[in-house]
Amino acid sequence: MSLWRYEARRAGWPACLAPPASLLVTLALAAAGAAFGTPRPFVHNLLLSGVEALVPLAAAMAAVTVVSVDRCRELQLALPTGYSWTLGRRLGVVAGIGAVLSLLFSAALRLTGSWAGPDSPLASALVWASPLLGLTGLALLVAVLGRSVVLATTTVAMVWLCQQLFASALVAGAWSRPFFLFLTSREGVADGWWTNRAVLAACGVLFITTALLLLRRPERLLTEEEV
Amino acid sequence: MRGRFFAVCRYEFRMQIRKRSLWLSTAGLAVLIAVAQGDRGPRHLPAAADAARVMGSWALLFSMLLPIGFGMVLADRLVRDHRLGAASLLASLPTRPGALVAGKYAGSVAATAVPALLVLLVTAAGEFVHRGDPALFLWAVVAFAVVLLPGLAFVAAFALVCPLMFSAPLFRVLFAGYWFWGNLLGPNYLPSLTGTLLTPIGDYPASWLIGERALYAGAPGWLSFLRPEPGGGAALLSVVLLAVLATPPLVFASPLLARRTSS
Amino acid sequence: MDIMISGLRRRFGRVEALRGVDLAVPGGMFGLLGTNGAGKTTLMRILAGVLPPTSGRVLVGGHDITTRAGRLAVQRRLGYLPQDLGLYPDLTTHEFLEYVGLLKGLDDDAARRRQIGELLDMVGLSDVARRRLKGFSGGMRRRVGIAQALLGDPALVVVDEPTAGLDPEERIRFRTLLAQIAGHRTVLLSTHIVEDVAQTCQEAAVMASGRVVFTGPVTGIIDRAQGATWEVVTQGPPPSTGVVVSAVGRPGGTHYRVVSPTKPDPAAVPVQPSLEEGYVALMREAVPG
Repeated sequence: MSLWRYEARRAGWPACLAPPASLLVTLALAAAGAAFGTPRPFVHNLLLSGVEALVPLAAAMAAVTVVSVDRCRELQLALPTGYSWTLGRRLGVVAGIGAVLSLLFSAALRLTGSWAGPDSPLASALVWASPLLGLTGLALLVAVLGRSVVLATTTVAMVWLCQQLFASALVAGAWSRPFFLFLTSREGVADGWWTNRAVLAACGVLFITTALLLLRRPERLLTEEEV
Repeated sequence: MRGRFFAVCRYEFRMQIRKRSLWLSTAGLAVLIAVAQGDRGPRHLPAAADAARVMGSWALLFSMLLPIGFGMVLADRLVRDHRLGAASLLASLPTRPGALVAGKYAGSVAATAVPALLVLLVTAAGEFVHRGDPALFLWAVVAFAVVLLPGLAFVAAFALVCPLMFSAPLFRVLFAGYWFWGNLLGPNYLPSLTGTLLTPIGDYPASWLIGERALYAGAPGWLSFLRPEPGGGAALLSVVLLAVLATPPLVFASPLLARRTSS
Repeated sequence: MDIMISGLRRRFGRVEALRGVDLAVPGGMFGLLGTNGAGKTTLMRILAGVLPPTSGRVLVGGHDITTRAGRLAVQRRLGYLPQDLGLYPDLTTHEFLEYVGLLKGLDDDAARRRQIGELLDMVGLSDVARRRLKGFSGGMRRRVGIAQALLGDPALVVVDEPTAGLDPEERIRFRTLLAQIAGHRTVLLSTHIVEDVAQTCQEAAVMASGRVVFTGPVTGIIDRAQGATWEVVTQGPPPSTGVVVSAVGRPGGTHYRVVSPTKPDPAAVPVQPSLEEGYVALMREAVPG
């Protein structure tokens, strides 16, 4: 337990604060929208986007930081505890915070009658879990492969923004629909929703597994300056 | 004083232009935009469309996404001096902090402007093959100057300075969220800066080049006094306002850097 | 814990940092000397399991470090102090050691804390055990570094340039500390400061351009300059042949100590060489020009 406590501190406040900050921004936008006279269904959809779009983005960016920044990396690599386990614990903290917050936020939305997502508990969880897994996995893989914060954060931001920008085209395309991150908030539980969630989650698992396999040689995380 | 400013600017430019990630992210984004623009993208404009319209549309499309990559690249430039242990050395030099920040800012904008201009010129060359109009190159430069460059200057100021106040990762999350909310989220439902003169994707200048509303410029919404009808005057006003808005973060940069160095 | 290295190579892109290193390190304190860029840090990192070699064989205490199992077995008995040890500034000294202890697998809370207390006493940091690491001086940071390296009572301690940048008092203190811990373990001290090896090691190796150019007793290094060390007293310019190792200005003229295979000046007189002069003679042989 102590090790988890230390790793939570090593993940860093910015990494731990990013998911709650993203939900606060969601709440602020929803409040502003309500004051602006935005119709209620639109406000509810915005709140849903908080867990489906913003928390995964925050968790993915935090994952990049966790993988890319460590003042003691050289010492860590010389310790008998595998560095991939250490990183795994830190990433677990980030993902755990995102998951717990999403659960609580969804529950609060249900209680206040503002939930615009599916009814079943499993489907409700998949609203945020699949994009969280998919985007965080992608962030992790690019960070490990590229060893560059810039490359990894740009990739994550681009994927996220492009999916927002070209949402209608991506939803309409038969090949792109399963990979669309924001299907619930854009289309609701429409045709192919379960496939979409399953594909996103599977992609996340695939990305994370590949990253962990690459981390069997953790020295690849040493940047050019460190080497 | 001016000599030192130019020296800082020149070397900041050199350091940045050599960053592999700058070129990789620009190239990746440019290819992605060119491929994923859909049926309504500038590639599908009629053959008779004039050069200003074609290049204005391309510039707006690039402007939607390219500055994101540049913002991510620039997010650690001032913080990096501390990480590499160069901050104390820089603080000990007779160069005033203002000149240092201004030089780094100008060098950063110049370094990100080069790949952005190149992307537009390559696009103009591609369009030239189909349309055969040499004016495409001239309008590529104009579109770069009025649509892309003001946005880059705006983004660079905030990307350099914000990570001095809160961490670079948090800045990157907020920046991606802001970019969508402040530039691309339709203003009809939610209060948003989209479609105002303060939109750094260059909606107003692009509308002026295209000859009609490019995206949301002037669309009804929040802060209606910032949503005049698109046109030449409004485009110019938008460019000037973005330049003015880029100044406050740069003014605050020197004291923020001094505080960081002394802590 | 003895170390056997044979045919070790490590390449970074086009640069070959290690070009076939052969070295045997017995127990006790062992010095590794060499200029900056000689490949010492790369060798230390390979021994610590941080970097894999491109080719070659490294046996540490009988474990082949090029295999995953071997590396893990070595890391369980290793203490490592890297050249640039980054510390987590938000942790206190005690918390940092506690964290490293947990990662070293010291799961017994009471035993771990007792050991941390003893090590803090040993390195003289008990007074600042609850202070955050942010703002620690270079010497204090190195002492935290050696304390973490000694956690778990390792059989092999690898320290890379531990005294670089320290003031003389702190350097002497650190050297004494290293000599003290070498009693029942192998301590591999990599440095470019000849004095550190002279004061602490009986056995040493010298590296140049990615190769080991000497290995043996420290006195063997001194022997390399035997008959090739001269003192010249002159009021004119320094001797043009050989390497001037020291120059002391005195009323009668400047006293130069020169390493040169031939007499560098008609007035030169042969003198007994020091370790530093032996090292200079060795480097002249290894890297001519």
